[in-house]
Amino acid sequence: MAKQVTLLVGTKKGLYILRGDAGRGSWACEGPEFAPAEIHHAAYDPRDGSMFAAVNQTWGGSRIEVSRDMGKTWKTTKNPAFPEGSDRTFSKTWHIEPGHEKTPNVVWAGTEPAALFKSQDRGETWSIVKSLDDQPSRAKWVPGFAGMGLHSIAIDAKDPKKMMVGISVGGVYRTEDGGTTWVQDNKVNGAPSDRPDVLYCIHKLLAHPEESGLRFMRVHEEVYWRDPGETTWQFSTTGLPTNFGFAAAIHPRDTKTAYCIPLDAMRRTAAPFGIGVYRTTDKGKSWDRLDKGLPEGAPLESVREGMHNDRLDPMGLYFGTANGDVWASKNEGESWTRIAQYLPYVTSVHAATIE
Amino acid sequence: MFAALTWGRMSKIAPTERRPSVRMLLHGVYRGFAGGARDVTLDAATIREALDGLVRAHPTLAERLRDEHGKLRPHLALFINQDDARLLGWEDAPLHDGDIVHVIPALSGG
Repeated sequence: MAKQVTLLVGTKKGLYILRGDAGRGSWACEGPEFAPAEIHHAAYDPRDGSMFAAVNQTWGGSRIEVSRDMGKTWKTTKNPAFPEGSDRTFSKTWHIEPGHEKTPNVVWAGTEPAALFKSQDRGETWSIVKSLDDQPSRAKWVPGFAGMGLHSIAIDAKDPKKMMVGISVGGVYRTEDGGTTWVQDNKVNGAPSDRPDVLYCIHKLLAHPEESGLRFMRVHEEVYWRDPGETTWQFSTTGLPTNFGFAAAIHPRDTKTAYCIPLDAMRRTAAPFGIGVYRTTDKGKSWDRLDKGLPEGAPLESVREGMHNDRLDPMGLYFGTANGDVWASKNEGESWTRIAQYLPYVTSVHAATIE
Repeated sequence: MFAALTWGRMSKIAPTERRPSVRMLLHGVYRGFAGGARDVTLDAATIREALDGLVRAHPTLAERLRDEHGKLRPHLALFINQDDARLLGWEDAPLHDGDIVHVIPALSGG
């Protein structure tokens, strides 16, 4: 059966599902589900076809919803919960990451306040990863502009025990034993300035899905590349119009290619240079701008979870904007088509490649 | 653990005493959280007992009404008939036969 792509589009007013045809040329839009709750992130689990949604709502508190029938019906999971005696209370889910294919029942969630939660029953219940929570350096974490959250969960392509997490603002932590122990992993190479390790405001940290050890990271004011075996992050920002941004993607096969959407650090939009996706094909040594089909000079904004890719060949790339557009490229970013508009503020885009 | 928290403090009325019969009326999103239920009639001497009874009737409401430490969530309004329960003792507010307890989301926003 031909693979198809379904986009899970989180917005500030609910979840939309865009189901693509076989050619990724037309898209049927369903939703919103869970409105008026904000969907900080939604994810598809290719291992069993589950869908997860981070439903962040004032009324009744935030929750995680799961669908086992491709988004037709949803069920509320048991909330992530801070342990009894903790002075923290689960506030929001920032990211949901299906586990490695070798650990089929494991799903991860990053929350605000910043913590890592693990599910060992396909997302039905969640337990805090105490070993990360017990890090003495946690006392030095501080909130970013959007709060203090753990939003990036990068699982190694080959070894499920090797993971990294990214925290705003708390830097990167790495485990190589499945989360029993953690070390801070913030040493950079080539960056214009150094700073205390926890004060790296990680905006997006990605693991290559096929190449063990390969990472790409979007930090508040830098972009970094990391090849397998390296122990430092290589500064890779030269050539971008600004050093600021959130949205990022990594090519699912090519081991030298990644994407990001730069924003102006003060305006928080792509002003004055206009919205554009920037691609490196040489591990971040240089960047080229991809904007064919995008509105020229438009001061659009795409946020942390705003861009994602499918697994087809050629790869499809997708991003959402604060003004409610969803843009798609089915030729790896070379040209773009708007596939949805007038949605609420898009907070996340996740491309599910479905067999 | 969570169930124990929701059952927290005991009413001043002895467990064997007859509780007033009250009607819990769910509004807005709380109906959705309870699977579409509009109301529940139960016996309870206080708001706390009434909420515990409501959760027994609709367990899906447990985490929607309280956080993991047992604290009632913000943006939850509880009225006893026409009166705000906050002014009557909040969770300790006494209930009487025939009372209607309104469970209302938010009361915030523009």
